[in-house]
Amino acid sequence: MTHGSLHIQDLRFGFSGQTADLFHIPDLTLAPGSSLGIRGPSGAGKTTLLHCLAGIEPARGSIRWGASDLCQMDARTLTQWRQQHLGLVFQDFHLVEGLSALDNVLLPASFSAWRASPAQRVRATELLARVGIHTPQRHAELLSRGERQRVAVARALLFAPKVILADEPTASLDPENRELIGALLLELAQEHAATLIIVSHEESLLARLDACQTLRAGNLHPVEAAHV
Amino acid sequence: MFNPFPVVIADYRRNRLLVGITLALVALAVAIGVAVIAQERALRQGSARAADDFDILVGAPGSPTQLVLTSVYLKLQAIPLVSGEVLARASNARGVRYAAPIAFGDNYQGYPIVGTIADFATRGGMLQPASGRIFASRGEAIVGAAVPLPIGATLHPEHGMHHDHDEEDGEHAHEHSLSYTVVGKLPPRHNIWDSAILVPVEDVWAIHELPSGHTPGSTQIGPPWDAGQLPGVPAIAVKPESVSAAYGLRGQLRTAESMALFPAEVLNDLYSTLGDVRDLMSLLAVATQVLVVVAVLMALLVGFLARARQFAVLRAIGASQHYVFVVIWLEVSLLVASGAAIGLALGYGASWLLMQWIAPRMGFAMPVSLGIEELRLAAALALSGVVIAILPALLSLRKPIAEGLKV
Repeated sequence: MTHGSLHIQDLRFGFSGQTADLFHIPDLTLAPGSSLGIRGPSGAGKTTLLHCLAGIEPARGSIRWGASDLCQMDARTLTQWRQQHLGLVFQDFHLVEGLSALDNVLLPASFSAWRASPAQRVRATELLARVGIHTPQRHAELLSRGERQRVAVARALLFAPKVILADEPTASLDPENRELIGALLLELAQEHAATLIIVSHEESLLARLDACQTLRAGNLHPVEAAHV
Repeated sequence: MFNPFPVVIADYRRNRLLVGITLALVALAVAIGVAVIAQERALRQGSARAADDFDILVGAPGSPTQLVLTSVYLKLQAIPLVSGEVLARASNARGVRYAAPIAFGDNYQGYPIVGTIADFATRGGMLQPASGRIFASRGEAIVGAAVPLPIGATLHPEHGMHHDHDEEDGEHAHEHSLSYTVVGKLPPRHNIWDSAILVPVEDVWAIHELPSGHTPGSTQIGPPWDAGQLPGVPAIAVKPESVSAAYGLRGQLRTAESMALFPAEVLNDLYSTLGDVRDLMSLLAVATQVLVVVAVLMALLVGFLARARQFAVLRAIGASQHYVFVVIWLEVSLLVASGAAIGLALGYGASWLLMQWIAPRMGFAMPVSLGIEELRLAAALALSGVVIAILPALLSLRKPIAEGLKV
């Protein structure tokens, strides 16, 4: 079973100290290489759902990426799974300042090896070129917001993950960069045959995805294409 | 095997000011402690080495410290004279290799002229002139390594503690008619005696119109003395033939009219006081270190708590708990250890500079070195940093990733 397929069953999440669950998703299936948008009002739990899908937030039920059920994994296995199969993109990029664009992309390689392999360095450089960064030695803090998000996208793709999760990836960008980053994420996900899930409020971005669901009142509701 | 250094170096680079201040504070705290210990040791070793040439010192009853300072370190002060009888007795006592009168009070352009005997000038044959020879007759002089007089130069002694060009013929300086010819130069001893001009004691007595220690008209220098013709001297340096003889001689020469002492005894008292001061200063230095370390660690702890999100992001994109733990632990440990190492070097450097300034004033070279005590001090601080760094690292482990991402 490919790592990019998602099958959620009876997923429940509630903050400790609260009796009611924040959300309950009885069933959700995504084919490998497909894309899904999640939207919803503030506080509905979109980011928390994304964190559950990334194995960051513990939930009850079953979140099965390929054969791996995140709800059954211990912390160590989850870390390994994230390292090997997941690419995460945040709203605020979260690059490590003080490191160059290239070193930021290569950073995940340092989590499991003393030195990035030549192949990884080549890939990182190619990814940066692919996302339009032609000054790979420039420090992260010297890049524009749009450039930083492009570097963050390249970082998420270093190990060619089969799962890409993006939390409001365009929310803090200007309109031009919003369009650019959105398109880039979709293109790269398709190029890598990765399953892409994006939490966003941006209708134009959501409209380009295979499907969109609204998280409201603790449940996911499909959105008709015409309503996106 | 993961590599935490990219993040550690990036964090240092990003927080240059905090890193700089932390390093400076830790280094300063260590440097103070190191400097106190190293200087005290240098002072002790230097002063002890300078006193090596004086096994037993005999003087008129009075202050032992004053006798040592005046004769060993040539801190010239008016001290009572010990009678010529004592010199005669010391010279003839059993177990004495030599008993050398130390007569001072004259100088040449600030270089003290010391009247003594050839045996003392050569330290009983242990010290050969670097050039020329030892004085062999009246009117000859052998100079210390730091005296800028060539062999063959003549000099006129001036009487008094200081040479003052502004005073033509004041109370503090007046020239004597006698002159000396430099016949030799001693090798460096790295103490005040490098600046001394050694002459036959008979000449010093003659200048002061005292008997020469020999029958009138005699041109002999040095022992044997004519006891009836021996004037008093400020001090007598006695070289015993053996250690056991030294104790016996010290007892024999301790009489109502003379005191005899091992300079080391006096120095021990001084060292004891010095040690007390050192201990107090070391205590203050350690207290400073503790305060600095606590302040630094508090600042770092607050900094790490504020960076909870960064560490959560690292975890979210695939870093293990161990990776984040080691990043935080290394950042603190390396800072404190580097600060301690810099402090060690700074403390040594400061001690060395200070000793260059102090040594000429003290009159003896002070060998500055880093001892086990200073290394232990710096190592203790570095080790405490390594141990205490575990605290923020552990705190980072306790914070769930999702919680860190929400900060």
